Amino acid sequence: MIKEVVNNDFSEVLAARTAVVDFKAVWCGPCKMMHPVLEKVSDLLADKAEFFAADIDDNDELVAELADSGVLMIQAVPTLAVFKDGKCVASTVGFVPQPQLEAWLSENL
Amino acid sequence: MERYDIAVIGTGPAGVSAAITSKVRNKSVILFGSKDLSAKLAKAHTILNYPGFPEAPGAEIGAAFSRHLDAMGIEITEDKINAVYSMGDYFALQGGENAMYEAKAVIIASGVVAGKPLPGEEELLGRGVSYCATCDAALYRGKSAAVCGFSPKEEHEASFLAEIADKVYYIPVYRKDEPAPVFSEENIEVLNVKPLGIEKREGRKVALRTDAGELVTDGVFILRDSVAPGQLVPGLEVEGAHIKVARDMSTNIAGCFACGDITGTPYQYVKAAGEGNVAALSAVSYIDKSK
Repeated sequence: MIKEVVNNDFSEVLAARTAVVDFKAVWCGPCKMMHPVLEKVSDLLADKAEFFAADIDDNDELVAELADSGVLMIQAVPTLAVFKDGKCVASTVGFVPQPQLEAWLSENL
Repeated sequence: MERYDIAVIGTGPAGVSAAITSKVRNKSVILFGSKDLSAKLAKAHTILNYPGFPEAPGAEIGAAFSRHLDAMGIEITEDKINAVYSMGDYFALQGGENAMYEAKAVIIASGVVAGKPLPGEEELLGRGVSYCATCDAALYRGKSAAVCGFSPKEEHEASFLAEIADKVYYIPVYRKDEPAPVFSEENIEVLNVKPLGIEKREGRKVALRTDAGELVTDGVFILRDSVAPGQLVPGLEVEGAHIKVARDMSTNIAGCFACGDITGTPYQYVKAAGEGNVAALSAVSYIDKSK
């Protein structure tokens, strides 16, 4: 299951022990492809991390805040980021096929 | 949306051969490329070792390829595929203007990418460097960008970007016989400089190093004729400029095959055509097993 980040509210992500956030946009083709893959992976890894999606246009203040504070700079979508105890520990840009995504998450979760 | 059995990317000898064999094996096929087939083949002065064509100019072999495709009812779809997404049991192919296609198997026969990436280009991809203006333009609202266009075809991408960005610097990296770019948009400035590399700068900026100094903007777009294989198919295993393949032309992604120059040397037309045949037969076998 993927929870949607709305109203620039990142508190659930920051409070999670381990969170995976998919920064996406409605106009982005690769993001549309990424979403169903991430849905499957979120079910497989539900016991390891909480999964979130954040539309960068709807959450533009959040995106600016993450960049200004040096936490995470989003310059392309989709950007997938792993947060542990509120800190961004890994990120990757662009579509990732399921096997490679599972491998990347197993290294970073 | 129609889901084809096999999508073939590239209309050189490898792609043409792969499409023909796919059709012979009664699979639905969509072939992406140019109606002129292959610029490299068209320009080949004399080919000495293509069976059946002693001392043939490349154009003669190309014309025969076209007749063969016509005779088999294989059409060429003139759309540049920017990305191929492995969705598990099928592939989604993204064309220009965000057109989408679907196929059960994909054969990459797009030829070897000429030219090395600029220093810093790959390291900063997605972090200030982009290969697709129509994909990432929305991120540049109110910002500035440099566009390195490697052919006049890329000028419309710069125009599209200029609708959203405040300022676009267009750097034509053209051959000498290609016409200089002319834009009607006031916020596009053409710079006749040679790009040398890309570096990160403070405050989410990137610097394009050129032979005439440094150009600092919010992003750099590198628009080439062909997309590097690792960018074309996210997750694909590559070795330098080539796609890593097994003897059956399979790649590390199930259902994705590659053939021709893109799999490595020797860059020979007859080797490419042979590999196209193997790739198609392997794709047919993959589809039949997946049923």
